[in-house]
Amino acid sequence: MGKFLFWTLVVAILIFLTIPAVVVIMSSVNPTETLAFPPKGFSLHWYARAFSYDDFRTSFYSGLIVTFFASTIASVIGVAAAYVTHRYAFRGRRLLEFLLAAPLIIPRFTTGFGFLLVGAGLGINNGYTIVIVTHVVLVLPFVTRSVYVSLVNVDRSLERSAANLGASPINVLLRITLPLLTPGIVGGWIIAAILSFTEFTASLYVTSYATQTLPVAMYTYVREYTDPTIAAISALLIITTTLGMFIVDRTLGLKRVLAIESH
Amino acid sequence: MNDRRIWWFFIVPCMLVALAVVMSLAAVFQYSFREFIPGSLDTGGFTLENFYNIGRPLYFLVILDTLLISLLTAIFCLLLSYPVAYALVRTEAEWLRALLVILSITPLFTGEIVRTYAWMLVLGSDGFVNSILMALGIVSAPVQFMYTKFGVIVALVHFSMPVMIILLATAISHVNRDYEKAAANLGAAPLVVFWRVTVPLTMPGIVASTVVIFAWTMSAFATPQLIGGGKVLMISNLVYLQGLSSFNFPVAAVLSAVAFIAAVGSLALVQPFVTRLERRVAQQ
Amino acid sequence: MAIRMKGLLAAAILLAGTGIAPAQEELVVSIWGGNWRDGAQEAIATEFTKRTGVEVKFVTGGTMDRLTKAKLSAGAPQADVTLTTSHVAYLYSASDLFEKLDVSKIPNLKEAYPIALRSPYAIGLYSYVYAPAYRTDLMPDDFKITSWKDLWGDQVKDKLGLPDFDPSHIIIAAAKLSGADAKDWKKGIPLLEKLKPNIKALYQSDATSQELMKTGETPVQVLLSINAYHQMSQGIPIKLVIPEEGGVVGIDAVGISAGTKMADAAYQFVNTALDPKVQEKLCELYKCSPMNAKAHVSDEMAKLPGIFTSDEQLEKQILVDDETRAKLLPEWKSWFTENMTR
Repeated sequence: MGKFLFWTLVVAILIFLTIPAVVVIMSSVNPTETLAFPPKGFSLHWYARAFSYDDFRTSFYSGLIVTFFASTIASVIGVAAAYVTHRYAFRGRRLLEFLLAAPLIIPRFTTGFGFLLVGAGLGINNGYTIVIVTHVVLVLPFVTRSVYVSLVNVDRSLERSAANLGASPINVLLRITLPLLTPGIVGGWIIAAILSFTEFTASLYVTSYATQTLPVAMYTYVREYTDPTIAAISALLIITTTLGMFIVDRTLGLKRVLAIESH
Repeated sequence: MNDRRIWWFFIVPCMLVALAVVMSLAAVFQYSFREFIPGSLDTGGFTLENFYNIGRPLYFLVILDTLLISLLTAIFCLLLSYPVAYALVRTEAEWLRALLVILSITPLFTGEIVRTYAWMLVLGSDGFVNSILMALGIVSAPVQFMYTKFGVIVALVHFSMPVMIILLATAISHVNRDYEKAAANLGAAPLVVFWRVTVPLTMPGIVASTVVIFAWTMSAFATPQLIGGGKVLMISNLVYLQGLSSFNFPVAAVLSAVAFIAAVGSLALVQPFVTRLERRVAQQ
Repeated sequence: MAIRMKGLLAAAILLAGTGIAPAQEELVVSIWGGNWRDGAQEAIATEFTKRTGVEVKFVTGGTMDRLTKAKLSAGAPQADVTLTTSHVAYLYSASDLFEKLDVSKIPNLKEAYPIALRSPYAIGLYSYVYAPAYRTDLMPDDFKITSWKDLWGDQVKDKLGLPDFDPSHIIIAAAKLSGADAKDWKKGIPLLEKLKPNIKALYQSDATSQELMKTGETPVQVLLSINAYHQMSQGIPIKLVIPEEGGVVGIDAVGISAGTKMADAAYQFVNTALDPKVQEKLCELYKCSPMNAKAHVSDEMAKLPGIFTSDEQLEKQILVDDETRAKLLPEWKSWFTENMTR
C-alpha cells in the first residue's frame, strides 16, 4: 500500500518533469501557427522553416565550434584539476578547489557580465576566444567531478607495481593512470559538450553576432516571432539529448558520470 | 609518484582558469564602484553611489522578490526531488533505474531556453493546461499562469529539479542500507523507517542541497524574463535591463555583485550548520 | 585594475587560440528580427544584391541590445549598416559609431522629403506611428477611442499593454494631455500614476505584443502601426485609432558604421533603400509611409490610419526631435521601470 502510494507519487513527479518536453514535441508537428491540443494534424512545416532559417544554421555552426573547443579544453584541464587536487597536498589547494567549482554557484549572469567586461577591456568581444573561455569556466566543474570519481576508483596497486618495475612517474601517468581514467574523461567531455551547446545566460552576454550560439539565436527568435519554429528546434534538441543520455548511460553509466555513486 | 614536474605541468592550466574566474569577478566588483555617465559605456571615477541605489524601492523589492522566489523554488524542489532521488538510488530493477535517471536528469541538458519555451506552451492562455481545464469544463475562461509569480516558480522548480535530484541522490547513496534494513527487521513500517532513519541520515545533504538550489535558482534568466513578462522581475532581468539595454554598467555590476554575495554568502552561512549535522549523523 | 591586466589574461587566452575569427565577404546589416528582417530582405536586400552582386547578411537583435554591442565593439564594427529608430540613430552618432555621410553618394536622397535627412549621420527610410489599438471582439460594443485620454477609462482597467523597451509614447502622450510637451514630461507624472490600475502587462518585444493581443490578455495596447497591421494580417481583429491629439510619430533610419571596410557597398545599400520602387515595396510590406516622395502609395493604403502622404497630415501628429527624445530616453526608461512596472 505504502509502496503503491510512493510509486504513484514518483510517477506524478516524473510526469511533471516530462510534460513540457511532450508538449513541445506535440506543438512542433502541429500544422497551424496557433497552439492546439490535441494537434490538428501532422506537419513537418516548422522543421523545414527551422532548417532554412539563416540565423539557426550559422548559430548552430558557431555553437559547434564553441562546444568543441570549450569541452575539449575543459576535459584536459579537468584531468589536471582532478589529478592535482586528489593526488597532491599543497598550500592553497582548498582555494583552488573553491575557485574551480565556484562557477556552479556564481550566478550565470554575473559570470557572463564579468567576462563581457573583461572582453571589453581587452577588446576581444568580437571573437570566439571570450566565448570559449567563458564556457570552459562554466563546464569545468562537471568534467572535474567526473574525472575525480574515476580517479578515486583507480586501483593504486597497478600504479605501484608499474613504478616498482622501473616506470618513471610520467610513464605511470601516461601508461597506467590516464587509460584507467578514460571513461571518466569521455563521460565528462560529453556532459561538458551538451552543457556548453545549450548554455544560454552567460552566452547572451559574451557572444557577438558572428559568434552567437544556438540558444542565443533561439532567444532572439522567440522575442520576434510567435510561430512554433522554436518548438521544432527544441524537439530536436530534446530528442538528441535524451538519446545522448541513453547512450552515456548504457556505455559509461550516467550515475557514475554524474558522480551520484561514490563507489 | 608525487613527481613535482607533473604537479607543475598540471597546476598551470588550473591556475589560469582560476585566474579567469577571479578576473571576471574582479571586473564586476571594479565596475560596481564606478560612476555612471548616462548614455555612455565609459565610467567615471570612484563612487559608492551605486550601492545606495540598491536601497531604492525598485531594486530593493526586486532583490527581495528574487530571494523569496529562489527560496520557495528551493523548498518545492526539495519536496518534489526527494522521492525521485530516493527511488533512483534504491531501485534494483536496472531498466527502471535507467528510465528514472534519464527522465529526471535530461531536462538539465536541454538548456534554459528550450525548457522556458516549453513552459510557455504549457502555461499560456491557449496552452496545454488551459486547453485541458477548458475541455474538461473545470474553468470557463483561461487561468492566468503567465506573467505571475506562480507561473515563474512552477517553471523554476522544473529548471532546478534535475540538479536537486543529482545532489540528493548523492546524499542518499551514502546512507548505508543496513540501517534501513535493521529498522525494518525490528518491525518498523516503511514510512516510519523512511521518516526516522533515512531522512535524518540525509539531513546534511538535504540542507546543503537546498541552499545550493537556492543559489542555482538565482542564476535563472530566461525563465523569469519570458514567463514573468516584465511583471515578475528577478535580479538577472534587471542586470540585463540595466546592463545591455540601458548601458548602466555600474548598476548592473552592483546587482551582479549582490547576487554573487547572496549566493556564496548563503552557502557560507549554512556550511557550519551542515558540518555540525554531519558530525551528529556520523556519531549515530 | 582587472581591465588593465591585459598581458596576464592574454596569456590565458592563448589557450583558446585567437586565430578563429569569422571571415567577412558580404555586407552585414544590423536590424530587428522577425517581420522587420523578412521585409528588408525581400524589399531592399534582393534589389541590392541584383544591382551589386554583393550578398547581404542580416544580424538581428533588440534596439538597445544592438546599440550596446556596437559600442562594445567600436573600432571593429560587427555590422556595416545599421537600421534603427531615428532617435537611437542619434545615440549611435553621438558615440561616433556612424560615419558622416557623403550625400553625393546617395542620389535618391534628392527625391526624399526633407525630414529624411535626420542628421549628417543618419537617413530616415520610412515613418509610422505609435497609437492606441484594441481588439474589437473583446472590448464592449460601446468602447471607443478618440483621445489618448480614453486609455485611462474604467473599461480599460487591467487590460492595457505597453512596450517596456521604449515607454516614450505613453510618457509623451501624458505630457501632452497635461498641457506640456516632451521636455517638461514631468508634468504628466500625476496622470501616468493614475494609469497604473489599467496596465496589465508590459511587452518586451513584438512577439510578446502579438501574443498578448492574440490571447486577449491585453486587448488594449499602445501599438506600433506597422505591428498592428501585421497582427491584423494574421487574422486578429484589431482597430488602430489615431487619437485627436495625434499619434506619436517614429522614423526608422539607416546609418553606415564608422570604420566599415565595405563603405561603397554600404552607400549602395542606403541608396537602394531610398529607391522609389524599393520604398513602395517596403512600405507595402510593412504598411508604413515612405520617405521618398516619388514612391507611390496605393489609395487603399493611403486610407489606413497611420499612413501619411502629406506634410499637413504629419504636422497633426506628435513629433519629438531625435536629440530631445534620445537624451530623455534613459531618464524615461529608468523612471518608468521604477514607478510603473510594479
